[in-house]
Amino acid sequence: MNVPAYNFAYLNEQTKRMIRRAILKAIAVPGYQAPFASREMPMPYGWGTGGVQVTASVLTPEDTLKVIDQGADDTTNAVSIRKFFVRTAGVATTGKTEEASVIQTRHRIPETPLTEDQILVFQVPIPEPLRFLEPRETETRTMHALEEYGVMHVKLYEDIAQYGEIATTYAYPARVAERYVFDPSPIPKFDNPKLDDCPALQLFGAGREKRIYAVPPYTSVRSLDFEDHPFEVQRWDQPCALCGTRESFLDEIVMDDRGTRMFVCSDTDFCARNRGER
Amino acid sequence: MTERGFADAPVQSAHAFRAIMQAMARPGRVQAIDADVKAPAPLLPSAAAVALTLCDFQTPVWLSPRLRDERIVHYLRFHAGAPLVAEPQAAQFVFATAADLPPRLGLLAQGTHEYPDRSATLVIQVAGFVPGSVELSGPGIRGGERFGVVGLDEAFWTAMAENHARFPVGIDAIFAAPGKLAAVPRSTAIRMLESA
Repeated sequence: MNVPAYNFAYLNEQTKRMIRRAILKAIAVPGYQAPFASREMPMPYGWGTGGVQVTASVLTPEDTLKVIDQGADDTTNAVSIRKFFVRTAGVATTGKTEEASVIQTRHRIPETPLTEDQILVFQVPIPEPLRFLEPRETETRTMHALEEYGVMHVKLYEDIAQYGEIATTYAYPARVAERYVFDPSPIPKFDNPKLDDCPALQLFGAGREKRIYAVPPYTSVRSLDFEDHPFEVQRWDQPCALCGTRESFLDEIVMDDRGTRMFVCSDTDFCARNRGER
Repeated sequence: MTERGFADAPVQSAHAFRAIMQAMARPGRVQAIDADVKAPAPLLPSAAAVALTLCDFQTPVWLSPRLRDERIVHYLRFHAGAPLVAEPQAAQFVFATAADLPPRLGLLAQGTHEYPDRSATLVIQVAGFVPGSVELSGPGIRGGERFGVVGLDEAFWTAMAENHARFPVGIDAIFAAPGKLAAVPRSTAIRMLESA
């Protein structure tokens, strides 16, 4: 019998207490980015260090973990993070959305509807929705304090003036519980409606930027828009080339050097289930 | 002799935190907590589990007069390493019983509009839960949730309603009963029911 080489879920207990306190504040103030003392993790920034720290702090040994990267369970990032938690926490893992109790995700929300018994952990590169409009942290913090989000509406309006529509297609800003404007991480705007009134608890971790935020279950998440330019999600002219669904977010795959393309489900688990392969 | 804390801290605190987090995420919904610790009376094992899961040298703790027993003080210092403060305003975690709450909830650390997270968490030891003295609504609640706590009167809920009015600043309350806990964060709107 091997002596375990890691504390349960890798992080030491003091770090977990600190992160857990931040998670509770984030839940109590939905959409507010609670600062936390992000640790160096055994993977580079940009690989999901924030999500990993949140997952490590909420995991229990009885959990079943699913990790997806752009909807897929079998890409490098997802495989690495899953193996990390198998080794350090000994948890069971799954590819099936409905079997998972904790799902860590990079840039997608599963197509299969989530339940009250699930926790969704997002990896976030840049948590501040106003950052590209106002680079100073002191200013964006004041803007959130004063609920001053006019600049974001100006940005969306300029999109309409220039392109005839709101050109933001991912990391689409939304308002949580009618208070904080937040960045739902770079999920396609196709996924924004799933954030709203979701039965599952949704936690967001940004490792490099050292922020944690949350959307509690059954909380309103309203994507920003205008009365005459209402929020819309992406649509495709064709169904998934593999499973035939018209309900899911499709990835474009280049097939050869003559411009042949194929559109398939980004959510590999959802697609496999539709094809009866599981 | 100090009473026993978590025998297996990583796993027990993970279980306790799951209960606390679900309580905070679903206000008014009572969660079971398996608090396998020996806490010196009158500190309830469930409240002790909250302290051992969340408090350490970074979190000043205030104890209400009934909990300011020498053995409890020693227990928290030994197991959590938490500094105990004399004034509730200075605390990040305030432990009290339903019978001796800090006099004014509005005087506890509220956070600021820039940093609403710099606020106190109030942990109240209670005998149990009863349905229906208040109706809760807001984030985490589908429709409304009828909720009530043994030993907490209308004055307390009025103070919690005022606390909600200050959102996003304000305190978050955790109610620790034997084997169970529930929470009401500042995001929760509170409506008094007639029978209360």
